[in-house]
Amino acid sequence: MTLPAFSLVRPQTVAEALRVLQDAAPGQAKVIAGGTDLIPNLQMKLYAPQLVVDIKGIAALRGIEWSPGQGLRIGALTTLTELERAPIVREQFPVLAEAVAAVAGPLQRNMGTIGGNLCLETRCLWYNQSEFWRRALGGCLKLPMPNPHAAHPRTICHVAPGGKFCWAVWSGDSAPALLALDAEVEISGPRGVTRRPLRELYKNDGMDRLALGHDELLTAVHIPARAAGRRGTYRKLRIRNSIDYPLAGVAVAMEVDDQGICHAARVAIAAVNPAPLLVPQAEALLVGQKASPELIEEVARAVTRTGKPLTTSASTPEYRREMLRVFTRRALQACWDRRDNVEHERDTGD
Amino acid sequence: MEKILLKLCVNGETCQVAVPPNKLLLDVLREDLGLTGSKRGCDDSSCGCCAVLIDGTPMLSCVALAASYAGAEITTVEGLAPPGELHPVQEGFAVSGGAQCGYCTPGFLIATKALLDRNPQPTLEEIREALSSNLCRCTGYMQIYESVRLALERWQQVPRTAAASPTAAQGSQ
Amino acid sequence: MAEFSIIGKPLPMTDARAKVTGLGKYADDLVVPGMLFGKILHSPYPHAHIRRIDTTRAEALPGVKAVATGRDAPHPYGILPIGHDERVFQTDKVRYIGDNVAAVAATSLEVAEQALALIDVEYEPLPAVFDPLAAMQVENPEHWIHSNKPRNIEKEYHHVFGDVEQGFAEAEIIHAERFYAGEVTHAAMEPHATLAVWEPDGRLTVYSSTQVPYYLQRTLSNVCEMPMSHIRVVKPLVGGGFGGKSEVIPLEVAAAVLAKKARRPVKITYTREEVFYAHRGRPISYMDLKVGITREGRITAVEARMVQDGGAYCGYGPVTVLYSGNLLHAIYDIPAARYDGYRVLTNKPACGAMRGHGTVNMRFAFECLLDVLAEKAGLDPVELRRRNLLRAPCITANQLRVTSYGLPECIERVVERSGWTAKRGKLPFGRGIGMACSHYVSGAANPIIRSNMPHTTVHIKVDRDAGITVYTGASEIGQGSDTIQVQIVAEVLGVRPERIRLVAADTELTPVDLGSYSSRVTFMAGNACLEAARNLRAQLFDAVAKKLDCGPEVLEARDERIFPRHDRERALSFEEAVAAALEAQGALVAKGTYAPPEEARGGTFKGAGVGPSPAYSYSAQTAEVSVDPETGQLTVHRIVVAHDCGRALNPLTVEGQVEGSVYMGFGQAVQEEMIWRNGRLMNPSLLEYRIPTTLETPLIESIIVESHDPEGPFGAKEAGEGSLAATLPAIASAVYDAVGVRIHSLPITPEKILAALQEKRRQAASQTRNSGTHPGGGS
Repeated sequence: MTLPAFSLVRPQTVAEALRVLQDAAPGQAKVIAGGTDLIPNLQMKLYAPQLVVDIKGIAALRGIEWSPGQGLRIGALTTLTELERAPIVREQFPVLAEAVAAVAGPLQRNMGTIGGNLCLETRCLWYNQSEFWRRALGGCLKLPMPNPHAAHPRTICHVAPGGKFCWAVWSGDSAPALLALDAEVEISGPRGVTRRPLRELYKNDGMDRLALGHDELLTAVHIPARAAGRRGTYRKLRIRNSIDYPLAGVAVAMEVDDQGICHAARVAIAAVNPAPLLVPQAEALLVGQKASPELIEEVARAVTRTGKPLTTSASTPEYRREMLRVFTRRALQACWDRRDNVEHERDTGD
Repeated sequence: MEKILLKLCVNGETCQVAVPPNKLLLDVLREDLGLTGSKRGCDDSSCGCCAVLIDGTPMLSCVALAASYAGAEITTVEGLAPPGELHPVQEGFAVSGGAQCGYCTPGFLIATKALLDRNPQPTLEEIREALSSNLCRCTGYMQIYESVRLALERWQQVPRTAAASPTAAQGSQ
Repeated sequence: MAEFSIIGKPLPMTDARAKVTGLGKYADDLVVPGMLFGKILHSPYPHAHIRRIDTTRAEALPGVKAVATGRDAPHPYGILPIGHDERVFQTDKVRYIGDNVAAVAATSLEVAEQALALIDVEYEPLPAVFDPLAAMQVENPEHWIHSNKPRNIEKEYHHVFGDVEQGFAEAEIIHAERFYAGEVTHAAMEPHATLAVWEPDGRLTVYSSTQVPYYLQRTLSNVCEMPMSHIRVVKPLVGGGFGGKSEVIPLEVAAAVLAKKARRPVKITYTREEVFYAHRGRPISYMDLKVGITREGRITAVEARMVQDGGAYCGYGPVTVLYSGNLLHAIYDIPAARYDGYRVLTNKPACGAMRGHGTVNMRFAFECLLDVLAEKAGLDPVELRRRNLLRAPCITANQLRVTSYGLPECIERVVERSGWTAKRGKLPFGRGIGMACSHYVSGAANPIIRSNMPHTTVHIKVDRDAGITVYTGASEIGQGSDTIQVQIVAEVLGVRPERIRLVAADTELTPVDLGSYSSRVTFMAGNACLEAARNLRAQLFDAVAKKLDCGPEVLEARDERIFPRHDRERALSFEEAVAAALEAQGALVAKGTYAPPEEARGGTFKGAGVGPSPAYSYSAQTAEVSVDPETGQLTVHRIVVAHDCGRALNPLTVEGQVEGSVYMGFGQAVQEEMIWRNGRLMNPSLLEYRIPTTLETPLIESIIVESHDPEGPFGAKEAGEGSLAATLPAIASAVYDAVGVRIHSLPITPEKILAALQEKRRQAASQTRNSGTHPGGGS
């Protein structure tokens, strides 16, 4: 497979990168960092950008900074491996350490960046296929492939036929963890640098996933100091214990006092909707409460109401929804029980 | 497409190649530099056959645009040891059955080398984790673990000079 | 002194250095000056008439040097003489998404890809059928996938051995069930690649990732209308085959046709997606199995029905369905059996031979059923198997000859090593252990193309430098066959392996070997090596005997010397012996051949040709698992496997083969499956077709059992396939032991386990309601 033809620019500063992005026509430039998402998508000809902007040379986008006052600032180019190994992350933000360690496999994490992981393209078995495959199908709602001879000459969504909404799934691991930590993203654009809550980055639309202008760049992630020390864990549904994208993901972060009373709680899910989502009722249900099977089950039910898995990936929607429930229960219980947070639960032999 | 004149540092040698901007590092290594040790096994960064060390870190050359890595220190399987010699990792895989068909072997060697640079006493679980981006269809992995173990043994017998381990410094971050 | 000096040693593979340095060349690594890049145009339809193909626009594209269609290669071919139903490019109709329509050779891959888009093909879609059970119901001949195959049945076989009715009448416990196996594929790490070079003298040299150079040479001769002697097939290093490269694959023919047309070298390398369309993997199988036993656990009768989803072309299909039936036998003592096998055509890529060819899915069904029967009879599953062992040597009900039989020892060894007795039925809920057995042929006793010629021939040449060159047609594909042949020759001639240079799998230099399939190489090429080396040694002994003034029968070759057995000091070095022989007789060459003996070739009934082998390997396994009852997630912790390979000529490669088999069985058991939606493969990638990583693959402990086959080279039998099939039912049995549900559908996914557990709980609950008693088990 070949890549489509494009020009490559390698800006060395954010300002330079923004100039390049502003000059490009909307939709004609793609930003590349680690390349683990973009390059396979380019090989499949999911895009044909005129310009690829390689931001790896921008030194200012690297590094992790912690200050008790400001919280944690993670440069967008920080690799998932760097994040996973950073002592501050492992000690103070265990849910994030677990989540990034669960991304793909170690070699992918050596390349993949936190910025890239937050900006992943949405995925669907009917979309993430080669040009040949999609042309034979006649494309899909997200990417029509006009072909009068195709099986479906009228472009339809193959997951929800008749619908006008794209259900391609946002399939990253780090975002639910960061949502659970009240993270904000730093966006640099023509109007300067702004910070927005991470949840506002996502539009929950498989076709148009990010609220990020074509002339904007995600330059950093901030976790507020108040989220430091939260107990947390991330549970990922996958078929293989490495390489796979999530089929469902649940991140929980909580503050629990010595009496076992919850003072802050966030539950976020991924890989079951076109966006990673905070479960809105979870906090209200949990704060002020002690653990009980009934409460945990109620939160788990709220989570399954938020998740809307469809037939976009290998497992069935029913199973993924059921696992949301089980994983939520287990994650909450683990947080309450203060089990070892850092080590990702994995049973591979004895 | 305009070609870009690129300076790459591969296996300790600096070379110039003119490549289009959309050319992958894997293809530049294989086609422009004749270093066919790195393999293509998939088209979606999911098999590890193409792994190379970039500034000491194992990465997938099939998702790396060559032009993005101008100036980086790249080590391929051909550069693990001087011509005619074997790096202990290569020796381990050759002797203990870590290479059957051999197609995934370069990727495994690169991932193993990086692991041992960073962690000279890995447990079995750490070995499995470090090699979990690399697929092997032949061995069932058991003889690969044995190969890593033997590599470790041999490595501890040779002094870890700069020559034996050119990337150790970068790898230990 | 030890019996052998080279045999039985865990020598590294002879090509290990080439592989670990990255310097060894695979087909896609090869580049020749002037080489063009080929790309194939595939059908977007599962079933359609081709009304028109217009290549004018593609031919006009600068950089395009040749465009080929069916007109350039009209001759049909196929691996079986009864199945010549493939053409490299279709002319009348296409039969699956991915079928081959045309190909382009151009100066770059980019240009070739652009040119494909400029080939205009007009299709007229036909109704397509994707399920074999539905395909068998298609009455309209216009809709049959091949017009000469009514109701899409490629082949059917109906066998009865012994008195089946009587057998079931004698049975005290009978159990019948339907089993299902999803489709799996080889997924060798190396995608297929072929470089075809048009030589200035009008000959063709083809470098290809093949397991069968000889069949490729034959097929190219037919398709390209060139004498075989003008076609040279060279097999470079091959990055794994597992059966996926054991027939002629379309790209091989396409590259040759393009090279001939362009008069230039052409290389085609498949994308990973194209590898999935080339396929030839293990078919979807519907199996209905019934087995009867006495209360003591003796099998009295077996009845099996198999329907296989063969895809759109014949390929090895009839062989696959015959293996499923005929290898019900030769593992246990089965007095009576009925088998009905159907190979059915559907509009999907062709299935074919995959490691454990034809035996794996049926063995899964059979062993699972034994597990059920053992429970019904109140017997330990191990004990049930003990009561049904063969007594070798023997002839089975379907006339297979079993010469050596290490299964009893395999069973006892895994029982001991795994701690079976302390574990089965005794582990806490959620944890379990299971066991199963399997077997396989050491080479097919009957060649694909029937003849009385040798199956394999080996030449050995020695000259003044005392270097030994072995010429063998056998194809090293990573399994270590080159190494084994070197070891055999080195042992017989008493020399260091380094003295031997092996020239292999180059049809211009090496004599014919049928290929690396059906686990035939160690046994057959090994025997040919043995014979050739003994012939050469006899020549050396004659010369040395004259020099030492003794009889050649007292001589022995060992440690680079030849000496009288009882006077070891009076030795000639190997170099001196070679010089003596050259002086005495001139050229020093030898040959060896192998063809299975008449007694090994099986019966005469229709379909008797598949299954007979000069020897069978045996395997027993235990699997220890955990099942999470809330998620259904299955973790296989440890597999203990004992494999009877006759004799381990090289324990390192035997263990590698056995562990690799278990690995592949594990993948099929728990997570590999090709997912189809209306003939569309949803997961044609290594990201979505999930072969196991290091993290979920169990730890495998292998035990070698040596039954010393009377006809194998030094007693050796196969090691590369026989252990695959037992892994799947061993895991299924362990799942039952862990949580009490039987999953008789492959793969055993968490979803299936969870659904079965929920069903079990429902049933238990309704029983409780009905009877008021407390249910056992459950989480």
